[in-house]
Amino acid sequence: MGQEDISFADFIASSIHDMKNSLNIQVNALEKIALQCREQGDTPAFDSLGLVIYQANRMNVNLVQLLSLYKLGKSIYPTDISEQSVAEMIDEALLQNRSMMEFKGIVISVECDEDCHWYIDRDLVTGILINALNNAYNYTTDKIHVVAKIQDGFLELRVEDNGRGYPANMLIDDALSSSKGVSFLSSSTGLGFYFSSQVAALHKNGERCGTLIIENGGAFGGGCFVVRLP
Amino acid sequence: MNASLVQATILIIDDFQGMRTMLRDFVKTMGVTKIDTASSGKEALSQLGSSKYDIVICDYNLGSGQNGQQTLEEAKLRNLIGVSTIWVMVTAEKTHDMVMGAAEVKPDDYLLKPINQVLLESRLEKLIARKLSLKAIEAAIKAKNYPDAIVQCDLQLAAKALNPQEVLRIKSDLLLTMGDYEAATALFGSVLAVRSVPWAKTGLGKIDFHTKKYASAQELFRQVVTENPMYLEATDWLAKTCMALGDTVQAQQVLLDAVKVSPNSPTRQKSLGDAAYRNGALDVAQAAFEKTIRISEFSPHKNAAVYAGLAKVFSEQDAPLEALKVLTQSKREFKHNPEAAIQTAAAESVVYHRMGDPVKAEAAMTEAERVVEKQGGKLSAEVAIELAQSLFKLGKKDKACALLREVVKNNHENGEISKSVEGVFQAEGMATEGQAIIEESRREVVNINNQGVILAKSGDFQGGVNLLRAAAQKLPNNEVILVNLCGLLIGLMSKSGKSDALVQETRDLLDRVQHLNPASKKYHAYVGALNRSVTGKS
Repeated sequence: MGQEDISFADFIASSIHDMKNSLNIQVNALEKIALQCREQGDTPAFDSLGLVIYQANRMNVNLVQLLSLYKLGKSIYPTDISEQSVAEMIDEALLQNRSMMEFKGIVISVECDEDCHWYIDRDLVTGILINALNNAYNYTTDKIHVVAKIQDGFLELRVEDNGRGYPANMLIDDALSSSKGVSFLSSSTGLGFYFSSQVAALHKNGERCGTLIIENGGAFGGGCFVVRLP
Repeated sequence: MNASLVQATILIIDDFQGMRTMLRDFVKTMGVTKIDTASSGKEALSQLGSSKYDIVICDYNLGSGQNGQQTLEEAKLRNLIGVSTIWVMVTAEKTHDMVMGAAEVKPDDYLLKPINQVLLESRLEKLIARKLSLKAIEAAIKAKNYPDAIVQCDLQLAAKALNPQEVLRIKSDLLLTMGDYEAATALFGSVLAVRSVPWAKTGLGKIDFHTKKYASAQELFRQVVTENPMYLEATDWLAKTCMALGDTVQAQQVLLDAVKVSPNSPTRQKSLGDAAYRNGALDVAQAAFEKTIRISEFSPHKNAAVYAGLAKVFSEQDAPLEALKVLTQSKREFKHNPEAAIQTAAAESVVYHRMGDPVKAEAAMTEAERVVEKQGGKLSAEVAIELAQSLFKLGKKDKACALLREVVKNNHENGEISKSVEGVFQAEGMATEGQAIIEESRREVVNINNQGVILAKSGDFQGGVNLLRAAAQKLPNNEVILVNLCGLLIGLMSKSGKSDALVQETRDLLDRVQHLNPASKKYHAYVGALNRSVTGKS
C-alpha cells in the first residue's frame, strides 16, 4: 500500500467522521421535534418525521458499511473477535433503532439467555443486526422477533418478521451467491447483504466459517435473516 | 467512582460545539448535574488537573492539537485520572489504538457514532457496574500488591464474574508480572483448549520470550499474526523477538507490515526506525523517524533518541546540515532533560566528525561526558549504548568498550540488551572481540554472585554481604545482584539478629529492585520475608 492509499483512507475516514457528526445531530434534533409533534397531537407530522428519521438512520448504516468494507478490503480493519455478551449486543442494537421502531409501532421481542457469550467482533456483528432490523422494519407488519442461541458450536442469530416473507427469486439468488460468491449488488439491499456476508465469513473457528442465509418461516411465518457464527 | 450515574461528575471533551451541546443534553436528561465541557485536549487536561471527574466522555478526533488517545495518555501519565475514572472514547470509526492493546493506555470503552441518549445511558450504567466489580482488583494493583490482586481475581471468577474473560486476562497479566510462568501457562492453556484466542497465545509467547526461548516465542507470535493479522500486540512482540534473535531484517519487515495497518503509534514507528537504521536502510529509517516526530508532537512518548536517530541518518546520507538542524530542534524540545542532552551531544559529535571537523566533534563529546558526570554516571542502557557508538566513531575505542562493559555488567541477564551491545561491536567490525568482552563482563558478575551464594551456604552471611555490597556499589542497576544482596541481608539478620540499619538497607534495596523491574518475582517474596522477620521477633 502506498502513501496515497493511506492518506486516501484517512481522507475517507475524516469525511465520514464529519458526516456522522452531522447525521447524529440531525437525527437527534428530529427526534426532539417528533416528540413535540406527538405531545401537540400533530400525528401527520409525527408520522412523516418517522420516515425521515428512518432514512437518516439508513444513511448512517450505509456510511458505516462502506467504510468497514473499504477497510476490510484493504485488510486494515481492526477486527477484534473476542468473547462478548450476546444479550448486551442485541440490547444495544435495539437501543440504536428504538425511536425508529416506535414511530412505526413495531413491537420487538428478544429470545436470548442473559449469560450467552460468544466470540464475535462486537461492532461488525452489531452492524449485521442493525442491517437486519432495518430490513425487517421494511418488510414487517408490526412484529419483529430476535433470537440468539448457541447450537452445534455456532451462534445462531435470527431476525424474524411477520411480513409476507422474501420473494422466491431473492431466496434463490441468495443460495447461489453464498455458494459461488456472486455479488449481491443487483438487489436493492445489496450493500447490506454483502456487508453481512463478508462479516460472517470473517468469523472463523478452525476450519469452520460464518454463514448468512435468508429464508421464510420462523415464529411468524415471515422473512427470516439468519447468521451463524462459529 | 460514585456508585450511581446521577451522582457522577462528568467531563465532556469535543471540539465540535454541536456535539458538545448534544452530549451535555444527554447526560443532563439522565439526571446528572455536575457536568463540565472542554473543546480541546489541552483545555481538558487543565480541567482534569483542577477537578476530579468520575466519567470522561471524549471524542477521539479533536481537530488540531492532541487527539483523544493522546489526551488520555497524558492524563494517565500525569496521574490526573485514577483507575476508578471511566474514560469513554467517542468515535466515528473503530481504530487499532482503541481495541488492540496496541496503545499502552486504553480507554474503558469506545462508542461508535451515532450516539443517542438511551444507548449512552445503558453503556455508562454497564461501565459503572464493571468498574465496581473490578474495584477490589484495581485497588490491589494500584497498591502494587499483586498477590492480593490475584486472590481478588479468583474471588471474582468463583463468583461468576460479569466478564470472566476480562478477569482472566487481568489475572494472566498479573501472573506474568510476578513471573509465575507455571500458573500463567496453565491459565493460557485452559483458554486455548476451547479456541485459539490471540491474547492467550500471545501470552504463551511472552512466557517463552521472558524465559529466553526466543525461537519458540517467535513461532507462537508468528502463528498469532498469521491467524489474526490485525492483532498488533503480537506483531510488536514478534518484532521484539526478532531483534532479540539478532534478526534485524525480519524485524524491519514485520514492523513495516504493522505500520501499514496502524501508522500512528510512535513506539512502533521508532522501533521501525531503529531496526531499519541497523540494517542500513536509511530511507526507511528516515521516513520512520520523521513520522515518529510528527505523531508524537503532542504525545507523552516524545523521545530525544528519535531526533538523535534521525540526525545520524541524515549524517550518513551526507546531509550534515539537515542533521544539525534536527539536533538544534531536539535541544529546544528537551531543554531540561539531561539524558536527552547526552543523546543530542553524542549525535552532534558524530555528525561533526563525519563533516571532518574534529574540534567541534571533540567539544560535543566533552559536553556529553560532562552531563554524564553530572548525572553521577547513572545512565539508561539505551543512552549508554548510543554514547558508546559515538565514542567508537570518534576513535575512542577504549572508552567505548569500558562503557559497554558497564552496560553488560548492569544487565547481565538481559538478552535484548546483550544483543544490542553485540550489534554495536559488529558494526565496528569487532564481533569476536566484542563477544569476548560481553562474555567476560557477564562471567565477572556471575562469579561474584556465585561466590556470594557459596559464602551464604557455608553460613558466612557477613562475608557474602560484604562481597555483594561492594559489587552493588559498582553496579547500581544490576537487578540480580541487588536481589541476592537482599537475600543475604535477610539471611544475616535471621542468623545474627537484626538492626535498624540493616532493615533500612534492605528496604532501600528492595525499592531499587522494584524501580528497575516492577515485575521482579523475588521482590514480593523478599518483602514478605522482611516483614515477617521485622514483626516476628523484636
